[in-house]
Amino acid sequence: MAEKRITIQATRYDPDKDSAPRLQSYDIPFPDESMVVLDALNYIKSHVDGSLSYRWSCRMGICGSCGMMVNGTPKLTCSAFLRDYWPRPVIVQPLNNFPIIRDLVIDMEDFMHKLKSIKPWIIRKQELPLGAGEHRQSTAQIDEFRQFSQCINCMLCYAACPVYGLNNEFLGPAAIALARRYNLDSRDEGLTKRLPMIADSEGVWECSFVGECSVVCPKGVDPAKAIQQTKLDTTMRFVLPFGNRE
Amino acid sequence: MASTAAPHTYRWSMPATWWTRNRHYFLYVVREFTAVPLAIWLLWFLVEIKRAGDGPAKYSPHGSTPFVIFSVVCLGFALYHSVTFLSLSGLIIRVKVLDKQVPARMITFAMFGIWALASLVIAAVLIGFAR
Repeated sequence: MAEKRITIQATRYDPDKDSAPRLQSYDIPFPDESMVVLDALNYIKSHVDGSLSYRWSCRMGICGSCGMMVNGTPKLTCSAFLRDYWPRPVIVQPLNNFPIIRDLVIDMEDFMHKLKSIKPWIIRKQELPLGAGEHRQSTAQIDEFRQFSQCINCMLCYAACPVYGLNNEFLGPAAIALARRYNLDSRDEGLTKRLPMIADSEGVWECSFVGECSVVCPKGVDPAKAIQQTKLDTTMRFVLPFGNRE
Repeated sequence: MASTAAPHTYRWSMPATWWTRNRHYFLYVVREFTAVPLAIWLLWFLVEIKRAGDGPAKYSPHGSTPFVIFSVVCLGFALYHSVTFLSLSGLIIRVKVLDKQVPARMITFAMFGIWALASLVIAAVLIGFAR
């Protein structure tokens, strides 16, 4: 019986030689139904073309580093099964909306800067000494922010967001969802420190609610919901008497 | 010594046809563009209000068939916007009663109720003025 094969078309871009990215086709064996796109890339790198560059790490949908465009949709390549595409070719491209460094590797500097700008850590007005014990939370308090804490910073939501694609000054879905996560945390007291970023015109108000960020999220986070809730909260702070209270 | 120069990157740019790449993008753009005929209809409504200012004797509402069809289409768009907006209200509005989160469905139901009530009040006011 003939060996089952699949065609992978991967973006190639060498900044020292190429003026623009191009697609290169690889015809590889597809012996195992459990193979994912990342397995195909690893096969190409190990057996066909060692110069192919891409990011990956955990292979189990946790680290968020193997996000790429798979047939035009942002996906974690470790979770994108080849069987869902076979016998059609699989086109693997770097994440949309980001500068390309080489092949499938994007420049994530802008995202890292935005992530840091919303201060994604618990801010306390006054730190308690360690001896004072832990900050206790009820299940209900954890449920307030739990889903927004599932973000793995894979940037698929940025690749899916046409608003970010048209205006990369936009703070973006993951950063706002993470800001929401900390603002809803009962242990946190840093809302007013994050507001200048999230309530800015390039913050939540730039979002026109396409909603695709929530569709592509591999961890079930709903950044569109976080953004719309933040819009309502910031409006209430502005409109209501005593709205600016902590 | 290692070079500290920034890497030469290929700048990605959004193609003008981005909204044709995906069904969700297409529906989003359609949704946004339905606001244009709504805005035109509202401008027309303002003109009618201005005309009505000359008194009932001189006023006759514009009622041509194309305008009625246009108004019905705009009503459909307005209902589409209202229903999609209010359907999401339960996800977005967070209300606590006795330290417990009010269920999203209840908030959505309440929003539709307020919408229906407001529509009835406005209809009553307009009919009252017409008499």
